[in-house]
Amino acid sequence: MTDPVYAELQTTTNFCFLRGASHPHELVLRAAELSLSAIGVTDRNSLAGIVRAHLAAREMELRLVVGCRLDFRDGAPSLLCYPTDRAAYGRLCRLLTEGKRRAKKGECLLDYQDLIDFGEGQIVVALAPGEITADFQRSLARVKADFPGRAYLGLSRRFAHDDAKRIHRLASLGERLKLPLLATNDVLYHSPERRRLQDVLTCIRHTCTIDEAGFRLNANAERHLKSPAEMARLFSDYPQALDNSLEIARRCTFSLEELRYEYPEEITPNGEAPQDRLVRLTWEGAGRRYPEGLPPQVREQLEKELHLIGKLDYASFFLTVHDIVQYAESKKILHQGRGSAANSAVCYVLGITGVDPALGNTLFERFISTSRGEPPDIDVDFEHEKRELVIQHIYTRYGRHRAGMTATVICYRTRGAIRDVGKALGLSPDITAALAGSVWGWSVDGIDPRALKENGLDPADRRLRLAIELSSALIGFPRHLSQHPGGFIITRGRLDELCPIENAAMDDRTMIAWDKDDIESMRMLKIDVLALGMLTAIAKAFALMREHKDETYDLGSIPKEDAKVYEMLSRADSIGVFQVESRAQQSMLPRLKPKCFYDLVIEVAIVRPGPIQGDMVHPYLRRRAELEKPDYLSDALKPILEKTLGVPLFQEQCMKIAITGAGFTPARADELRRAMATFKRVGTIHHFREEFITGMIRHGVQPEFAERCYKQLEGFGSYGFPESHAASFALLVYVSAWIKCHHPDVFCCALLNSQPMGFYAPAQLVRDAREHGVAVRPIDVNHSQWDHTLERLDDERHALRLGFRLVAGLRQGEVEKLIEARRQPFSSPAELMHRAGLNRSTMQVLAQADCFGSMGIDRRQALWSVMGLEENPLPLLAGLATLASPALLPTMADSQSVAEDYTAVGLSLKRHPMAFLRSDLQRKGLITAETLRTMPNGRRVTIAGLVLFRQRPATASGTIFVTLEDETGSANLIIWPSIAEKFRKAVFAGKLLACVGTLQREGQVIHVIAKSLHDWSSAINRLQEGAERFALRFGRGDEVSSGSGDDGRRPRDAAMLVKLKSRDFR
Amino acid sequence: MSNSDCVGPDKPLAIVATQGSKRRIVAINDIARDRGVMPGHRLTDARAIVPDLVTVAADHEADAAALVTLSHWAQRFTPSTAVSPPSGLWLDITGCTRLWRGEQPLLESLMHQLERRGIPCQAAIADTFGAAWAFAREAGCYTIVPPGAHRKRLSDLPLKALRLEPETLADLRRLGLKTIGEVMALPRAALANRFEDVLPRLDQTLGNAPEAIAFVQPPTPWFESLTFADFLMTPEDLQRALAALARKLCRRLSEAGRGGKRFEAGFFGADNTVQRIAIATSLATHDARGITQLLAARLERIDPGFGIEVITLRASRIAPLHERQIAMDQEQGNLATTAPLIDKLGNRLGFNNVWRFAMAQSHWPERAVTQAAPLARPSHRVWENGAARPIRLLSRPEPIEATAFLPDRPPVQFRWRRVLRRVRRAEGPERIAPEWWRDEENAPQAIRDYYCVEDESGARFWLYREGLYQNGAPPPRWFIHGFLA
Repeated sequence: MTDPVYAELQTTTNFCFLRGASHPHELVLRAAELSLSAIGVTDRNSLAGIVRAHLAAREMELRLVVGCRLDFRDGAPSLLCYPTDRAAYGRLCRLLTEGKRRAKKGECLLDYQDLIDFGEGQIVVALAPGEITADFQRSLARVKADFPGRAYLGLSRRFAHDDAKRIHRLASLGERLKLPLLATNDVLYHSPERRRLQDVLTCIRHTCTIDEAGFRLNANAERHLKSPAEMARLFSDYPQALDNSLEIARRCTFSLEELRYEYPEEITPNGEAPQDRLVRLTWEGAGRRYPEGLPPQVREQLEKELHLIGKLDYASFFLTVHDIVQYAESKKILHQGRGSAANSAVCYVLGITGVDPALGNTLFERFISTSRGEPPDIDVDFEHEKRELVIQHIYTRYGRHRAGMTATVICYRTRGAIRDVGKALGLSPDITAALAGSVWGWSVDGIDPRALKENGLDPADRRLRLAIELSSALIGFPRHLSQHPGGFIITRGRLDELCPIENAAMDDRTMIAWDKDDIESMRMLKIDVLALGMLTAIAKAFALMREHKDETYDLGSIPKEDAKVYEMLSRADSIGVFQVESRAQQSMLPRLKPKCFYDLVIEVAIVRPGPIQGDMVHPYLRRRAELEKPDYLSDALKPILEKTLGVPLFQEQCMKIAITGAGFTPARADELRRAMATFKRVGTIHHFREEFITGMIRHGVQPEFAERCYKQLEGFGSYGFPESHAASFALLVYVSAWIKCHHPDVFCCALLNSQPMGFYAPAQLVRDAREHGVAVRPIDVNHSQWDHTLERLDDERHALRLGFRLVAGLRQGEVEKLIEARRQPFSSPAELMHRAGLNRSTMQVLAQADCFGSMGIDRRQALWSVMGLEENPLPLLAGLATLASPALLPTMADSQSVAEDYTAVGLSLKRHPMAFLRSDLQRKGLITAETLRTMPNGRRVTIAGLVLFRQRPATASGTIFVTLEDETGSANLIIWPSIAEKFRKAVFAGKLLACVGTLQREGQVIHVIAKSLHDWSSAINRLQEGAERFALRFGRGDEVSSGSGDDGRRPRDAAMLVKLKSRDFR
Repeated sequence: MSNSDCVGPDKPLAIVATQGSKRRIVAINDIARDRGVMPGHRLTDARAIVPDLVTVAADHEADAAALVTLSHWAQRFTPSTAVSPPSGLWLDITGCTRLWRGEQPLLESLMHQLERRGIPCQAAIADTFGAAWAFAREAGCYTIVPPGAHRKRLSDLPLKALRLEPETLADLRRLGLKTIGEVMALPRAALANRFEDVLPRLDQTLGNAPEAIAFVQPPTPWFESLTFADFLMTPEDLQRALAALARKLCRRLSEAGRGGKRFEAGFFGADNTVQRIAIATSLATHDARGITQLLAARLERIDPGFGIEVITLRASRIAPLHERQIAMDQEQGNLATTAPLIDKLGNRLGFNNVWRFAMAQSHWPERAVTQAAPLARPSHRVWENGAARPIRLLSRPEPIEATAFLPDRPPVQFRWRRVLRRVRRAEGPERIAPEWWRDEENAPQAIRDYYCVEDESGARFWLYREGLYQNGAPPPRWFIHGFLA
């Protein structure tokens, strides 16, 4: 007797959100283990999961039958639908697109008639409803007639008491209608253990608890993948139903491999062959880039690259990107390409990137490798305020039927998982909130059972344990599709025959149902049209320089390799500079001391989880400081590691080590990289690990180094940072640093006008500019524009005039009215109000922001007079109210004035809030951030300041980094986990912290290792309330103990505290 | 699972209200305060500081109701009490102080009694409502302002003592004005021009303008009492007295179209003892006879001792009655006849012990049935998932010996209570997996395969096999669980 054979053709993946309880790859792996002949994925009205299933099936060499389950809104019975060939697949995509476009996001509305319209080439399997009605029998006859020879009737064992009766009825119905039968198990999960999770998903879907769910849950755990033998036993009376699964699998020849990408025709308007056109444009561009004549080595490089592009037939791809960039160019939108192919000489002369290939002289070699059988990778960043224009251009140029944005699959992370699972298991919102609260940020590591104890919960409680266990199983499950921020796919034919298109949450946006990464894995072309705040800032800086200083630059023409710029960066003077302004980068800069462009490339890449987890940073710094000799381990690895002194820092290097050092094929190395990213939670990864490490050792590498390389690879898996991206970023680092170095006024103005972006708030940017000698002038109704502007001081210098955009609660339209009316200066608030036709609330906002300085009126006087103004006074009475004497108002203490400044505009030009507390602090023996710099290593210090940042990097295992700011500068605290736990309240909620600790000095880098921390936030309130009275009440008290503030009631007006909110990075 | 109803005094506790999309702390206990949580904090921030914070959702309606209750309670000091939401009371003590021999003893007694009830408070006595409001809140624990002195002493109080709109308050603060005195010094015209509410409030507080406070009237009590010159001794007398009281009370209830669901009789003995009996009814009623009967059933608990001097009868849980509907609605009609029985049983056995079966949504047969309140509306349709269920379920399944083909064919014969039965027809298995989420220690762990079988005599049984046939596992056991129609 031969072994039974069977293909399971009805499976639901977890891309059928909150229904399927297994990942596509889990289903495929299990199907392969069970030796099923094929697996069919049939999510409800969706093809979202098939790419991942396809990738897994490709790896397991299992046949995947692409399909989906169609649910109709008109009462027709649900059908499974399998396209037999590419054309039918295209029709299925269009059918789903039709249904999705007429529904709101995430839904699909289909009628049976729609299926008829797109039914050619589809095999359909009718699914019986719970009760076999006469209606169903009629529909069945109709399906039979509509899909002659292509219709089946599905049978499943549900393990209900009447299974035998029901299947018998269906079988005889099939016989009567001459409909062949198909046995399926209507699979919801790959193995029976997932029943629990599936039950929980059902509860989440119905927003009920597991105790209320009742019959919404399945009675048993039978809907898992079953072996052919088991299926044969269950359907022993209907062997034909099993055989038919193979027949359908045979008839459906379509595979996702057939989705070949075709480039749009528009890129070659005059019928020129793509390669010819690219060659022509390249040499034209080269002429523009090198007006003084093409250097021979660049010519050689271009020829080499063009040859390679020709050989791999990638010309169309470069032309497509060029086409988009061309549009940006024509609209003067600053842009910058990055990605493996972006840093090529061709891209440089085509204007796709500004990275001069001569600067990073070793970059070329990694340009498209012949062995990587996938399209080159170019992402293009645009100014964030103008990217929408580029997106709309792509839609208009290629049409919505051919251009679409990709989706990004939003997956459950720890917090969401515990919240949803907890709710489903009926835990009280308190407990789930406490559990979710114990997780820092975007963790995907699950709840640590120790968190239970910390939260005073009983670790032996069964529900709690179930919640923790099931929530970690839920992590990584797709929750919904969201529009990718910039992934575009453009096709020659109809996009909706490639993949279903659905509505995105944003109006006027559509997206395809596949994740960006999946599309990449399918080796299809996608272009990332991304938004980058720094490009906006640089574009604005260029404009300001043109306007005020008569200097014209673009990304490519900024003077190169300026020693002053590198000097500045080596001092860690980098506030506002792209990428290297973070605290981690700032402490790296003085150690690395960049001297040339390539050093910046390294600087950008080194402060990343990859190198940090792989413990590569310190070896590199030691070798760079020539404290240690570079060691290339083997001659074979030397060329790969030479430029980074034997320490792998870039993703490409790791891939190459895998190839050269561990004997991986390039394809295998690429699989490894992918496995790191997508299959992280599955068991397959350790095969790679073994293969990699034994391979390395075989090639003569120390096991310890092999281990470190592998660790770094793991880091790259989640946060990959390739050299090509680093190079593109490094250019922006250099350009922004150059502007900061030579035009601090322009730099600050441009950054402020591009907010929100970057690491620092306007207060720090303005402070930094002032420290660099830039005069900053306050916002004023007679001088300011909406944006911040430059005002000429003399031939050399400009002052920065703050603009109205800083003022919280001010509408741009009102400001426009003000500027419109400002032909001659306003002399009083009343005049301003009536001439510009402003409303009273606008006037109040202006008064609170202290914008009447040029009239000689301070904030309080302005407020008083504004409050007395009538919105539409009789002409005769206009201005009368200002006659009322403001002299009775108490004068404002400086401290309060500063507090009001922070409240209204988020910064103060008067003094730093800490300055008012200084004498008090000094008495208590606290020092300033400036004094810190003169203290010897190991000294015990006490320091206080406003909290600028709190960070708890994933790579630092619970250590918290806090940056404090006082009137003299900033101080960096390192808080070990035990200390953080002890002073939890201060660390997490303090706005003004005092810290006792030990000074740690490493070259120019100074840290304070915290020993104890105290929340002195209540001192801020005192500033705000105007010191006098509160000094009496609290002046002699010890703030450390008076954590609860005044008499237990929180001051109602906590605006300044809100403004002082630190930026917390997790 | 909720831990909020078992808060010990040693746990940090916060009351949380949802404001817009944020959950904020509105009140805390001392422990939470000591650990740094403050009213106004966002719940998430508070949790970062105190991870084991116990939270309870704010219930503003309950707060308001409690404040009204408190205002009734305070009528022991003066008939004129009124609420001052969210957490204040007004007492007009004009003419009342003589009972307490002065203002200070009155105030101290009030505060003492409140504190004994666990209600911390601040209080003040002043010439005007506004001034009392201001001093109570802003001048410390308690204050008595001598007549005429409030004007001067108000000047030092912060502006928030003026009961102004939050926006006005914020505006004044922006102008640098902090005390009532600073505002009093400003020209009245300029103030009137800029703020609508400052002058009226100022004048009310100073006593220059009248202020009307809505003092609550005590609610009409459904209460009757009878005093007897000759002390009652016999149960018959007591019952007659109860009947009389019930008639009086029920007449009034009937006139108001209302009924009570709880009736409490108080027996005040000659020896200054008070004994009480209470009965409850499942439907609101004003049926004097029924009430008397139910009460009389409990009279045996009353020990007349030296005799009963006063009997009171009080009705509570008053609800409107819809008399006419009883006859029109079939179901209500049934209720009307079963209700007295249920009342009788309930009052005798305890209402918790009177219930009826209801269907529950569970695949697990033992859990598909639940208890429901005797008069709760039966929920229909709950079992309509097509499952075959026996007409009689054995409360405890009984083991049987069965013979069946592996792995999951129905039995061909089985022996139950020594009788061997051959199965003529069978259906199944219906596979039911245990409810994995159940917490009980002895929650069942094994899968059950249920079969409906019919023996040669035509009797139908509901059998199950516990567990599956698996290599290495102990062989599954068979049970009978019920009888099918």
